[in-house]
Order: sequence, then C-alpha cells, then structure tokens
Amino acid sequence: MREGTRTYAWSAAPGWMVSALLLLVLLSLLGGCVSKKEPAGDGVTTIVFKHGKIAGDPALLRRLIETFEARNPDIRVKDETLPASTDEQHQFYVINLEGKSRDFDVLSMDVIWVPEFAKTGWLRDLSHLLPEGERDEFFPGPMQAVTYRGALYAVPWYIDAGLLYYRKDLLDKYGLKPPQTWQELVKTARYVTEKEPGLYGFIWQGKQYEGLVCNVLEYFWSNGGDVLKNGKVVINSPENVEALRFMTDLIGRYGVTPRLVVTAIEEPTRHIFGSGRALFMRNWPYAWNIFQREDSPVRGKVGVSRLPSFPGKPSASTLGGWQLGVNRYSRNPEAAERFVRFLTSAEAQKTLALTIGYKPTRRPLYRDPDLIAQQPFIASLHDVFMTARPRPVTPYYMLMTQVMQSEFSAALSGTKSPEDALKSAQEQIEQMLGAE
Amino acid sequence: MRNEERGRWFVIPSLVLLSLVTVYPLIYVIYLSLQRRLLIFDVSRFVGIDNYVSLAGDARFLNAFKNTLYFTALSVTLELALGLAAAVLINRSFRLKGLVRAVVLIPWAIPTVVSARMWEWIYNTDFGILNHLIGAKINWLGSPFWAINAAVFMDVWKTTPFVVILLTAGLQVIPRELYQAARVDGAGRWAVFTRIVLPLLKPVILVVLIFRTLDAFRVFDAIYVLTGGGPANSTETLSIYAYKVLFQTLRFGYGSTLAVVVFLCTGAISVFYIRLLSKGVRL
Repeated sequence: MREGTRTYAWSAAPGWMVSALLLLVLLSLLGGCVSKKEPAGDGVTTIVFKHGKIAGDPALLRRLIETFEARNPDIRVKDETLPASTDEQHQFYVINLEGKSRDFDVLSMDVIWVPEFAKTGWLRDLSHLLPEGERDEFFPGPMQAVTYRGALYAVPWYIDAGLLYYRKDLLDKYGLKPPQTWQELVKTARYVTEKEPGLYGFIWQGKQYEGLVCNVLEYFWSNGGDVLKNGKVVINSPENVEALRFMTDLIGRYGVTPRLVVTAIEEPTRHIFGSGRALFMRNWPYAWNIFQREDSPVRGKVGVSRLPSFPGKPSASTLGGWQLGVNRYSRNPEAAERFVRFLTSAEAQKTLALTIGYKPTRRPLYRDPDLIAQQPFIASLHDVFMTARPRPVTPYYMLMTQVMQSEFSAALSGTKSPEDALKSAQEQIEQMLGAE
Repeated sequence: MRNEERGRWFVIPSLVLLSLVTVYPLIYVIYLSLQRRLLIFDVSRFVGIDNYVSLAGDARFLNAFKNTLYFTALSVTLELALGLAAAVLINRSFRLKGLVRAVVLIPWAIPTVVSARMWEWIYNTDFGILNHLIGAKINWLGSPFWAINAAVFMDVWKTTPFVVILLTAGLQVIPRELYQAARVDGAGRWAVFTRIVLPLLKPVILVVLIFRTLDAFRVFDAIYVLTGGGPANSTETLSIYAYKVLFQTLRFGYGSTLAVVVFLCTGAISVFYIRLLSKGVRL
C-alpha cells in the first residue's frame, strides 16, 4: 500500500476469498428468487386463478370470488390477470406448464387449447366434477371441446359463437328479410348499398390471425365441408374451394365486402358497424351490448340472426368461449376443483351474464326470466349456440391453425388462388401431422 | 503482477453470472436445435443437423428470411440517410435548437407496442389519417406489397431519432477550427461534408449501423403488433416465424434452429461491423 491511500479491510484479503464471498452472495440471491414461501399453517389454503382480462369491471369477478371465499372459509383465491392477447396467454401457459409450474392452480383456457393441454399431461382429469346427468345441461359444442379420449379436462365457463348482425331499420325500409343463404346476403347487400351510398355491404374479420380461421370455417361448414374427418385431413375438398372462392368473391366479384376486412379483427369491424356504416357484420355476441348503449348511433336498429349458409346446407357458427381447468401440478387440487365447480355453477354464470354479458354454457339459464328481461335476444342465441361447432378438436390444432391462417390470408389477399391455397394447406397439414 | 492476479479473481463472479444467464441458455438452444422435439407428439430425440437441412426446403423460412433482409436493408439505409441529414441540420445554431432536438426525440420515446397500435390506425383504410391526407383509399396493411413497406416506414419514423441523437453527438466533437481551416483552403460545403464531416463521423456511423442493423434484423414486437406477420406472411420476419413455431405450435427443436439462425446472422453482422470499425479507427 502506498502511503496516503486508505486501507480497506477487503483490499488486504486474498483475491480468491473476495471472489468466493461475492459468488456466495450471488448464488444466495439466485436461490432466493427460486425458493418458495410455504403457506402459513393457519389451515387456510390459498389457490391462484389465472385468467385473461375480464371484459368490463374487474371488481365484478372479485365480488364473485368473495362469495366463494365466504362459503369456503378454508380457501383464499388470488386472481391474477394475464396479458389481453390470447396468443400471449397461450405462451404463458406453455412455458409455465412445460416447466411444471405450481404457481397457479386454476386456469382459464380458450376452447381450442384443451385437447393440446390434455395430451401434454398438463391438466387434471375433471371427469368426476360433472355427473353424467348434469353434463346434458351444457351446450354440446363446448362439452365436445373439453373432452379428450373420453375424459373431461375442463368445465365450460362461458360461450361464444359467430353471429350475423344486420341493420333492422334498413332492411325494413326496403321490405327485405335477413338472408338465409349467402347468395341472398349478396343480393340484399348489393340492393341496399346501391340505394344507400357510403354504406358497406358486409364486413367480417380477415386479418391473418385465429379469427380468420373462425370466419373461414363457417363458410366451409355451411357448404358441407370440413377440415378434419375421422383423423384424416380433408381441407382440400371441392366444397371448401367453393366456399373460399365465395369469400374472395365477396371482396372482388360481388364487391359487397370492402377490401379493408383483409386487415380487420373484431373491434375495427364493430366500430364500422357501430357507427352505422355497414349493413351486415359477422361478429361475436359481445358487440350486442355495446350497440345498445345510450350513445350508440345504431341503438335499437340492430338485429341478430344465425349466419347464412349455402343453399340446402345447414348454417354453422364457429364456437368460441373459455373453459376452466386445474393445473396437474397444483398443490391444492381439491380446493381448485371446488373453485372451478363454483365459477361454472348456474348461479355464478347467471351473475356473470347479468353483469359482464358473458354467455352461460348451461342451457337452462336461457329460460331464466331475469336474464331474458335484461337481454331479450338471449333466448334466440340458444339455438345458435346449440349448433355452434368447435374448431377441429385435436391436440394438433395449434399446428393446423398456423398453416390455415397463412393460406387463408394468401387466398384473401389475392397472392394465391383458393385452389392453390387449400392444396398447399392440405399438404402442409398432412406433413405436420405425420411428423413423428 | 499480484494486482493482475487479484483482478482475475475479481472477474470470476461476473463470468459465472454471465454464463448462467447467457451462455447456458445459448448452449441449451443449440442443443435443442439438434433435436426433433415435438411436445405435442411426445417426440424428443437427437437428429443432428436434420433441422438445419430442412430449413432449405421450408418455403416459409425462406420467405421470412427474405422479408427480414428486405426490412433490415431498407429501414437501416433510410434511417441512416434521413438521420444524417437531420443531424447536420440540427447541428447548426439557430433559435429554439433545444426545443427542436427534444421534439425530434418523441417517436423514439413512445413504447414500440403503443406506436405500432398508433400506426395501425394511421394506416387504416377507412379512418386512417394517411389516406385522409393523400386523398386515397389504399389498403396499406392489406396488400402484401404495401404491408412490408408500411412496416419499414413505421420503423424509420420510430428509430430515425435514435440515429439523429447519436450522430449529433458525433458532430459536436468535431472541432470548429477544422471547418474554418477548410473554408480558408477554399473548400465548398459539399467538400467539407465529404472530406471532413464524414471521415470524422465514421466511427459513430458504424456504431449506429451496428445497433440499427441488429435491431432491425431481430425485429419482432413492432411488426407483430402491426400485422401479426400477414397478410399471407408478407411481413413475417425470422423472429416472428420462430415465435410462432416455438410458442404456438410447440415445435421446440425446429423453433430453436430458427433462433440459432437468427443468432448466427446477428453474430456475423456484428463481426463484420466490428472489423470495419476497428480498421476505421486505426486509419
């Protein structure tokens, strides 16, 4: 040490000692991040409920949870919100469940994930939660979507399906009825838009994302086509080619659909229709409540019906909605199951329907006087939900949809013909499903 | 010598930390990229370089690679050109200089996702201000040609300020006397710019290029929010494709291969620039 320099204790210590000490501090910090706090031993179990953003006031869900906690004093529920984007929620679950995370017990899942999460072994078998008799209360579509190899891996929480919104006032003005077939829709749209300048005929969701697949499948199904049949890929069929061609014709040949749908997701189409600038719109039920608000320009002018179909074929809506499941690695599966049972009960579903507008998955609620009084159109939704079809119920769905999204988008944006797009989709999906 | 030995000991903790958080994941990704690992099929086995071989036959990968190169080349070129021009202009003394500099920074200060959402509205066919201004009805994000260029334009708008700030800093270091001496020798403005400003600015320009090229090559969030890679994969970059393969279809082996390709490319770009930089400085 030079004179005049202050001597610190550590500067005299051997280098390896300082280094070892720093390493020790470092490792204990890392250890601190990983270690788990054990629950306090006061007999109360805490479970964590992961879910997407609640449409509307989050306090409504909180109140429901408090009801549950009051009835189950031995259970505390922590609800944690995931990012709003469905893709990010999927990513969160994939990373954490593949890492055997025990940080959450109850999870809400999009209807297309359940078979995937069941096959990977991430979900607890919930077959015992719903007795056979009670299962008939639920809509068949969601029940099919939560069943994998005969066992139940989630309980349907709320339901969604594609609907046709129309301007009742404009159809009345020209003495027209809501269309039953796609061709009628084209005719009606052309007739009315000719008389009403600045009005779009028919808008839907065509951006390259999951919603595009929901839209396209409705045309496939309502033309008798399908994507997967008895485990075989049947996407490249004459029915599907005709249906996809019809969609491109809506934009091109018939000109009833503006080109902007190729970039549109739900909200932009809802804005356009809600500002009174479109005659028809395909969307989910959520839009209805917004159209009925005091400040809505289309308040009282909107009608809802099931989607049209091709002549002689039944109409088909794509099933959406969310399901509740239990993490296989949960430390408190019994408490988690009790919570799932509560949130999917008729009582909780009714509360959510009345407050947030989430549509119940239990059919008897569609005859509930309180609900009908508040939302008169809910009774007519029952029939749509009865026939709503789940997207292919397979653990490989996420592989398939990546291909479908890009090929459908190619057809709509005109970079490929519908024939080429479906041929390519068929080849890619077959190759992926055969990939062992 | 004793001090040097001590120093070596002191470096060890940070090396351990770095290897835990960067080297280990990197090695693990490379290890994964040599596996056929399909979570959903319960497949996990070593396949050597099979994944790398199948890249050549993957049209979607080649398309993503092409999009990434196009996006990187065009956006970095435009950002550098515009940034240089703006920096030279701002470097003169004028009134409200401070205010102008602050205003220039605004696009850079807005979070990427927010500005992507904003541009989504700007590009909207119906309500978008862009179509309103030019009096057209162009479907910017709906046509494969316009969509990728719209993404480039958004990136240029957002990151040119970054280039401007770095270059302005570089310009301020150039001594005034050099300009005056050049004037005395009869050099015109252009000659001053090409003979004095550019050579002296070269190290800063290279630093800017490193940052911008690497960022543009790995672009994910801005485009993912703006278009999601569509329409028809026309804006799907390597990072977006890798994300979809990894986290949406759970093909961890192949997805890791894509990630390694991005890593190798950015590595090559860095080495290229650093070589250029070290040469430039020693001139």
